[in-house]
Amino acid sequence: MVPTPPTGGLSSNSPSTGSRGSIQSSPLAPSTKAKQSAIQEAKSRQLEQEFKTKHLGILGVLTWVLLLHVAGIYFFTKGFLLTRMVLDNKSSCDLLPFEDASGRAVASSMGSKKGCWHDKSFDKAVVIIIDALRYDFTVPFVPRDESEAAHLFHDNIPVLYETAVNNPANAILLPFIADPPTTTLQRLKGLTTGTLPTFIDAGSNFAGTAIDEDNLVAQLHSAGKTLVHLGDDTWQSLFPGYFDANLSHPYDSFNVWDLHTVDNGVNEHLFPLLRPENKTKWDVIFGHYLGVDHAGHRYGPNHAAMAAKLQEMDGVIREIIASLDDDTLLVVMGDHGMDIKGDHGGESDDEVEAALWMYSKRGVFGRTSKETLLPPKHARERFVPQIDLVPTLSLLLGLPIPFNNLGSPIEEAFAGSSGNDWSNLLAVNRLSAAQIKRYQHAYATARGAGDDEESFALWTAADEEWKTASKGFTSKATAVRSSYELYRKYQRHTLEICRGLWARFDVSSMIEGVVLLLCGISLLVLYARGMKIDRTELTPQLLSFVGAGTGLGAVAGAGLVLFGITDMTAIDSSALLAAFGSMVGGLFALLKKPANLTLPLPNGMWGWLAVFFTVSQSVGFASNSYTIWEDEILLFFLTTFGVCAGISSMRQKSTADRVLGVYHSILFVILGRVASFSRLCREEQMPFCRSTYYASSTSSISAPWQLAIPFLVMVFLPSVVRSFYIGSKSYEGAATLWIGVAFRLGLLITSLFWVLEGADDGEWLPLRKETLKSIRVFLAQLVLAIAFGAGTGAFFYSKPCISVSVSKPPPEDPNAPPVPFIVGQQQQPRTTVTILGFGNVYGTRFFFLVVNFALAIIMMQKPMGQGAIALLIWQILSLLEILDTNALTLTNSPIGPIVLGLLGSFYYFKTGHQAVLSSIQWETVFIPMSTVKYPWAPLLVILNTFGAQILAAIAVPLTVLWKRPLQTHDRVSQSSNTKLVNPATRLLSDVVQAASTHMLYLATINLATTMWAGHLRRHLMLYRIFSPRFMMGAAVLGVVDVILMLVAVAGVRWSTISVGEIFGW
Amino acid sequence: MASPASPSSVNTAASPSQAPAEKPSAPPIDILPSLLAQTYSYVHPAVLLGLCALRFETVVADPVRELLADLPWLAALQISYVMLCLPPAGTTSIEVGSGADEDKKKAPRSPSGPSVTLRPGKPAYRRKQSSGRSGLAAIWAKLMSAFLSLALTSLLATPMIAVLLVLFGAPLTTHNAETLLCAAHMALLSATGLVYVHGVDGSIWKQVWGIARPADAVWGGALGTGLGAWFGAIPIPLDWDRPWQAFPITILAGAYIGCAFGSLVSRTPLLYGKRIEFAPEQVEEDEKKTN
Repeated sequence: MVPTPPTGGLSSNSPSTGSRGSIQSSPLAPSTKAKQSAIQEAKSRQLEQEFKTKHLGILGVLTWVLLLHVAGIYFFTKGFLLTRMVLDNKSSCDLLPFEDASGRAVASSMGSKKGCWHDKSFDKAVVIIIDALRYDFTVPFVPRDESEAAHLFHDNIPVLYETAVNNPANAILLPFIADPPTTTLQRLKGLTTGTLPTFIDAGSNFAGTAIDEDNLVAQLHSAGKTLVHLGDDTWQSLFPGYFDANLSHPYDSFNVWDLHTVDNGVNEHLFPLLRPENKTKWDVIFGHYLGVDHAGHRYGPNHAAMAAKLQEMDGVIREIIASLDDDTLLVVMGDHGMDIKGDHGGESDDEVEAALWMYSKRGVFGRTSKETLLPPKHARERFVPQIDLVPTLSLLLGLPIPFNNLGSPIEEAFAGSSGNDWSNLLAVNRLSAAQIKRYQHAYATARGAGDDEESFALWTAADEEWKTASKGFTSKATAVRSSYELYRKYQRHTLEICRGLWARFDVSSMIEGVVLLLCGISLLVLYARGMKIDRTELTPQLLSFVGAGTGLGAVAGAGLVLFGITDMTAIDSSALLAAFGSMVGGLFALLKKPANLTLPLPNGMWGWLAVFFTVSQSVGFASNSYTIWEDEILLFFLTTFGVCAGISSMRQKSTADRVLGVYHSILFVILGRVASFSRLCREEQMPFCRSTYYASSTSSISAPWQLAIPFLVMVFLPSVVRSFYIGSKSYEGAATLWIGVAFRLGLLITSLFWVLEGADDGEWLPLRKETLKSIRVFLAQLVLAIAFGAGTGAFFYSKPCISVSVSKPPPEDPNAPPVPFIVGQQQQPRTTVTILGFGNVYGTRFFFLVVNFALAIIMMQKPMGQGAIALLIWQILSLLEILDTNALTLTNSPIGPIVLGLLGSFYYFKTGHQAVLSSIQWETVFIPMSTVKYPWAPLLVILNTFGAQILAAIAVPLTVLWKRPLQTHDRVSQSSNTKLVNPATRLLSDVVQAASTHMLYLATINLATTMWAGHLRRHLMLYRIFSPRFMMGAAVLGVVDVILMLVAVAGVRWSTISVGEIFGW
Repeated sequence: MASPASPSSVNTAASPSQAPAEKPSAPPIDILPSLLAQTYSYVHPAVLLGLCALRFETVVADPVRELLADLPWLAALQISYVMLCLPPAGTTSIEVGSGADEDKKKAPRSPSGPSVTLRPGKPAYRRKQSSGRSGLAAIWAKLMSAFLSLALTSLLATPMIAVLLVLFGAPLTTHNAETLLCAAHMALLSATGLVYVHGVDGSIWKQVWGIARPADAVWGGALGTGLGAWFGAIPIPLDWDRPWQAFPITILAGAYIGCAFGSLVSRTPLLYGKRIEFAPEQVEEDEKKTN
């Protein structure tokens, strides 16, 4: 029970040393009239109302900043992510790609019955895609040096190699190089249209859209073939309506923890179709197996599950071969490879090196030279680009080559079984070259540009040779061959041109984005570091000017479009001008009273250190090395901060401050170094990095010993938090239940979850997998319910972490007017109220929010990541103590929010992530869910991926709240006889300053990565290094902006109100 | 950074507790006045840099062996430097720095000339004055100080710096010999002089931990070693594939250069006697950091 005196607030003078411990006071209640107390209460209510209004106001300001960031990122992305014009032209049977008369003659003579543009070799085809079938899975293991031993994934699917070696006329096996991004959806587009992917489509793997370009499936469909699709349902979204509905069976493709459902489904429906009695029901079957890919995602390639899966595929292929007839072509291929952990999406060698195997009982395949008889030992020899499949399949099945195709016919498929059918090779290559030329011409016309000169020269030369060859004089054979080679050269040359062409950036849009971001940062600098006055006082004017600017800008933008001054779309133009308008408005509001301004330069060592960290990191992103080694650099910076904190602590006057400060500085540094042992290396860090996040570098499951980490976290983390609460005597009230019981319970359930997970992987328990899975999902949902459901509710209604004890007064003088007094000045016995936890009342109350999110985020991490997050929380608390002992909380030093930014980025890497797409742990969606459900799935992935940054962002208000002395209206007005100020708005101003400083760090990093990605857009490492880092920077900025606004700063409302209800305003 | 940033009202108003710590009182250390000492004090940094440049190739070729082989030479160099050029502990006038020294204003804040003469009449001396009594006693004091500084450098400073290196990201499970040798070299560069002139005076070492010593040749060398090593870490991650980018080499090179320049620069009138402040009014240190 907390006594709330009728005066509307407990008046107590905090003794000068009392900020850390308890205070004692006797309630002051000059038994005055009810009138006075009513006035007080009204005043109090008014102050609370003022706080609430101003709080809403600053949320508005933060929203504006968020929108500015979004606009900047949008305009940059629009220009940066590559786009390609999609032509609607379709190739047709009747129209050969040649413009000359001879072409037409051929067309008519070849006629339709034997194939469209070229004699067909097969009537039917079975196309099997084994997702993520890497080339080195399929060839015998060749050690690169003596010590190298075969991995588990080697030599498990020998059928492809055996057939290609034993019956070279029946089978060919070749490396099959994918064009990144190596996501399945992008690969299927490439494999059916023959075009290059552009970046604009990357990442839309989770929401496939229909292909409207000319493609192989559409050509088959219009040729009247019956198409069957089995397996990965991405096909259905890409080619809706093309497949025979009765025979096709799509399966959900995103449950990567399920290795068998899709594969068993394909087998179940594939083999019946291959039986002789069903042969007439279909023409082409597309079967897409996902087991290998899922085994890679779940376990990594070097795992027994992968070996078993590959052996299973070996059996499947042998079975298909057995039931194949002479007129059916069998194609088996991987759509991409996988990296050493089994993930894919990027453009590393392991990810792009897939395998292609073609088989026919009729010997049609040939090799043009003896050296090429055996399949290549390594994926970088004699490889074919994946788009080559498109013309190859088209011509083998007697179809026109899809209009947009850039691939060339695969030599082995047209060289004849003796390998010297040069005229056939010439014919098919002339066809595909002509089609490419036609496409290039159409594309150039559509873009309003001319043809490339060099390719024109190549084409002419090839054509000349062809004419010589077709006249059939003495040198015919050589002419045929050289003509073939020239056509071939022309095709490859065009492919290279197109690769360059579609790396065409919209530079003006990129510049617009960069300028928006830059102006946004300048305003943020002014707002965060350049204002002398209470920021909440600015809000009304700021918001109205921003609103006016936005409106004017939007109208002006629309006007520009209306009068045709710009060729942007109306929405883009309005958005752009609205953003600039709002900034002009904002700038005007901020600069209106120059007296309020101060030069936003850092002062003192801490300010410069904060600037130094931010700027040097931003500059470093221009170098691929510093981007690759970001995790180590962050450790270096954090240790530097810790050392500086130790130095500064040594200078403190008070012994308590000095000792505590030095202790926490040392602790901070050591914790960071311990956390740094959790690593997940990116490919470029090899060989100087050893991954510890998973059981091994070729696996994506946790080692058994790592299952102990959740238990350690459960035992120690609540105690660590408790020790920090006890330090200010705040482990009182709700804290005991919240931290001691609820938090620990949640962590215990988390540990159990991972034991069950380990049991599932290791098959330790005699339970069915489904049972285990549903228990796990239940446990995970329970933890999330505790964290977000119960936790949020409790956060709204909880009392501050204080305990009030009243010692009884001597009975004779109950009505004596109690006066505030300071410990040690007690003159006569009175009612003594002791408040424990008074010194850190704001901080401990707000920290509950961090605890809630910490629990949820720990639940979403793998065991190693849970340890890392626990260390993060410890380091945050340690940082807060450092800030307090070095007097950095009340001075609004930028170092606190900036170091939190560093911590967030650092632990991003320590929770098993890297700035590459393939490090996204998609499978964590299945921690609390058994199927993908929107919108929860993306939110869960965000919680896993950016967990560290989210926690750091939520802790930002603590940099000004931790151990902040309680200030109420009467205290302030007593001490300083200035105008009546509301101390709560002062607090709010400090919070928003800290939040905008934190934003400033991330916005600067985002601007830097954006600018470097834009500037280095022709850099060799763009897609590997700069582009993913830009995307990460933008995503982090967006997520943290939202979290700061909706969670961190918003949460201050409830924590402050709950303090105000007890102590008055 | 010509002028310090104007402190905002917020900062000055609310930072009374920060108060740039107790003003340290021990004066900067001067090089001994003899011609030999003065001359050698300029030669020594050059010798260090020369050693660094001369042995660079061999260090790159085989860091552990070469660094180990260089260690006695460096120790001998440092010991001869401190014995030749610096007053051993206890011979400079040391105003008591224990706890709350009220008379902080008395500390000379400006160059006070190369003077080792005692200042009789000052309230207290930490230890007996032994210099100047007799040549033998002076040499004895020098020898004792030198011995002490070598012992502390190898026993305390080296492990401490090694731990710091690991905390900054040096590998823990591999390259231990390199880390230890790097730490030993850095300790010899920085700690030998400090221990030699300050002994184990707690109040001065408290200033050292707080980076609050006034600039002089010894302190400048020590601080320069640290900062140089810090900057030396920068080229390591770059993908230039140079053999000298291997772990301890650039850090040590930075430390040597930093030590040489630090000891020279901090003797110039511009810096001599100045202290690094953390509080808003100054930016010196940060200048070093940002440049």
